[in-house]
Amino acid sequence: MDLTILIMAVTYASELTLLSIGFTLTYLTAKIPNFAHGTYAGFGIYVSYTFAKFFHINPYFGLPISFIIGGILSIIIYKLVISTLTKMGSGTIVLTIATLAIQIFLGALLNIYAYMFIAFFKQYATGFLLKDWDFKVGDISGIFFVSIAISITTVIILHHLLTKTKMGIAMRATAEDPELASVLGININNVQLFSWFLTGGLACLAGALLPFWLMCSPATGSGIITSIMAGSLLGGFESVYGAIIGGFTIGMAEVLLTLGGQIVLGNWFGEYRPLIPMVFLIIILLIEPRGLQGFYERYQRRRTKSTPKEPEKEAKK
Amino acid sequence: MYANVALGILSSLPMAIEGTNRLIVDIAMFFGLLVIVAMALNFQYGNAGIPNMGCAVQVIIGAFSVSAIVLRVMFTVIAAAGVPLDDWNDPFKWIYSNPSNVNLANKFLTVNAPLAIGFLLLSFGVALVLGAGIGYLLALPAIRLRATYLMIVLITMADASQIIGRNVTFISGGTLGVWIPNVFAWYPGDNGVIMAVVTLLLGLISFFIFRTMLNSPYGRLMRAMRENEVTLSSIGKNVVGIRRNILMFASGVTAIAGVMNVYYLQFSNESGYQRAYWTYWPWLMLILGGPGNNAGTFLGAALIIALRRLIIVFKFEIQQYFFFPISYLEDIILGGLLVVVMIFRPSGLIPEKLLYIPGVNYTKIIHEDVKIDWRAAPKAREKKGAKTEEKK
Repeated sequence: MDLTILIMAVTYASELTLLSIGFTLTYLTAKIPNFAHGTYAGFGIYVSYTFAKFFHINPYFGLPISFIIGGILSIIIYKLVISTLTKMGSGTIVLTIATLAIQIFLGALLNIYAYMFIAFFKQYATGFLLKDWDFKVGDISGIFFVSIAISITTVIILHHLLTKTKMGIAMRATAEDPELASVLGININNVQLFSWFLTGGLACLAGALLPFWLMCSPATGSGIITSIMAGSLLGGFESVYGAIIGGFTIGMAEVLLTLGGQIVLGNWFGEYRPLIPMVFLIIILLIEPRGLQGFYERYQRRRTKSTPKEPEKEAKK
Repeated sequence: MYANVALGILSSLPMAIEGTNRLIVDIAMFFGLLVIVAMALNFQYGNAGIPNMGCAVQVIIGAFSVSAIVLRVMFTVIAAAGVPLDDWNDPFKWIYSNPSNVNLANKFLTVNAPLAIGFLLLSFGVALVLGAGIGYLLALPAIRLRATYLMIVLITMADASQIIGRNVTFISGGTLGVWIPNVFAWYPGDNGVIMAVVTLLLGLISFFIFRTMLNSPYGRLMRAMRENEVTLSSIGKNVVGIRRNILMFASGVTAIAGVMNVYYLQFSNESGYQRAYWTYWPWLMLILGGPGNNAGTFLGAALIIALRRLIIVFKFEIQQYFFFPISYLEDIILGGLLVVVMIFRPSGLIPEKLLYIPGVNYTKIIHEDVKIDWRAAPKAREKKGAKTEEKK
C-alpha cells in the first residue's frame, strides 16, 4: 500500500482521537451529545489561518493559543447556555437541541469571520490549505509527527490527570454521580468548568492541525461531527479510554476503507466517504449499543463470573 | 389596499400575483409546508416525547419519491398516451432528456386535468407509504435505546440521505437535479395560488387528524408515555411499539410536505433539503410556539416563516449594511432566538393545555376540590366497614 495514504490515515485518526475524547468528556459531565463540538474545531482552523495569512507566523506557534481560545469559547457556551438551562431543570433533549442551535450560531460566526477577510483584507478565506507552512522530515510532512505527538501526549496527560490528580478524580466522581460528589465536598461547578475548558481546548487544537493537510472551509468543522460521534460511540460514550480507541479506529477505517473501496469497486466509492462513519454508527448500535466498553464488561463478566451493573437499555431520556 | 390585495389573491389572476401579492402567496406556501412538518414534530416530540431530529430525512423521502417513482410513472403513462417523449431509461438520458420531456408532459397535463390530479394523489400515496417505511427503518437501530442514541441516528441519517441523493443519479438527478412536471398546469389562474391553497388544505386536514388523535384515548397514552415510560410499561403497554407507530405515522405525514415542496419548485435536488433548514427550523417553530400545543406551533411557524421570507425578499436592501452574505445574519438571528426562547420562555409563547376528554371536566378536577376525592377513598371504605360491624 502507498505509504502516504497510511500517513494521512494516521494523521486524521490522531486528530479524530482528540475530538472524540472531547465529545466523550462532554457526554460524561453534562450527559448530552454536543453537536457543536465539530464547530469548535472550525475555530481552531481559523486560528491557524489567522496566524499564517494575517500575522505571517508559522501556525504551529498558534497551537497553544487555539487551545486557550477553544477552552474560553467552550466555557462561555457552558456558562451562558448549558449551565443556565440545566439550572432551570431542562432535560437532555432540550439541551441537545440547544447545542444544535449553538452549532448553527457558531457556524455563522465562522463564516462571518471568513468573509471579514474577503471584505476588508482582500484575502480569500473560505477555502484554504496551509501545506506551505509545514516543515518536512525526509519525504514525510511534519504534520504527521506533530499530530501523533500531540495526541499521544494528550492521552498520557489525560491518563495522569484522571487517575493521579485530585481534579481528575473529582471529574470521574462527578461523572458517576454529581449529587454524591457534591456531598463529598467537590465543587461541581469548578469541575464542570474545567472539563468544558478541556473539551473545547482539545477540539480547537485538533481543528488547528487540520488545514496542514486538508482543504478547509468554515463548514469543515461541523462536517466531521458524524465521525466524532461514531468514534465516541464505538468507545461506549462513557469511557475516555474507549473514545481513544474508538476515535483512532474510526479515523483509520474512514481513510483506509475509502481507499480500499476505490481500488476494489472503482473511483465512485470516494463520494461515499462520509457514509462510512454512519454505517459504523448503525452497526455498533445494532450489535452492542455500549460499544467497546460493553464488550469489555461482557468479557470481564465471563471471566470473573460476578455481576456488574446491567446495561440500562430503556433508561429515561 | 388590503382589500385590493385580498381580491387579487382570491381571483388568482396571473396578472394580479405580482410584487407584494407574490410575497404573500410565497409566505402562505412555505407556511403551509413547514406547518405540516412542525405539526408532525409536535405530534412526536411535544405529545409523545420522541426527539425526532430527522425531519429532513422524512421530507427528503417525499421529495425523492416524486422524482424517482412518480416521475417515471408519469412518463410511462404520458408516453403510452401518445406523446413522443425521449428515451429516459439510461442514467445519462434520465437527466439529458428531462427538460424536453417535462416540457411535453406539461403541455399534456394542461389538457388532461383528471390525469394530473391522479398523479398528485398517487404521489401522496407513495409518499405516505415510503415515509412510513422510512420511519420504521429509522426506528430500527435506536428505538429501544436512550433518546440520545435516537437523536444521533436520526441526525446522521439526514446527512446520509443527502449524500445518497447526490450520488445516485436515478433518484433525483444527482447534483444537477431533475425538473418535475407541473401537476397544476390545468388550472387557468396562477399556479402558485392553487398550490398554496392545496398545501394549506393539507395542513388543515393533518391538523384535524392530529387533534382527533390527541383527544382520543391514544393521545392520553402518548402523553403518559412522555411523562413516564416505566409506569406505562408497568401497566402492560408496549412502549417501543407505540413509539414506533407514532414515528411511522408522523414520517408519512412529513413526507407529504416534501411532495408539495417539489411540486411548488417544479424541481427536485438534494441540495434543498439541508439539515439546518428542514430539521432545525421546525424545531425552532415548535420551541418558540410551545411544545405540546398545535396553536403554538401555528404561531411559531407563522413568525419564523414571515421573518425568513422578509429577510430573503428584502435581501438587497439589508445587504448594503453588511459585508457578509445575509444568510449568515439569518443563521445568527434564528440560532440565537432558540436559546433565548429556551432560557426566557421555556414553555413557549402559548403554554401547553390539558387534553379534552368528552364528558369529563378535566380542568375542574385539577383546579377545584371535587366531591370524588380518590385519596379519601380508603377512609370511606373503613367507615363503611365500621358501620357494618356496628350493625352486627
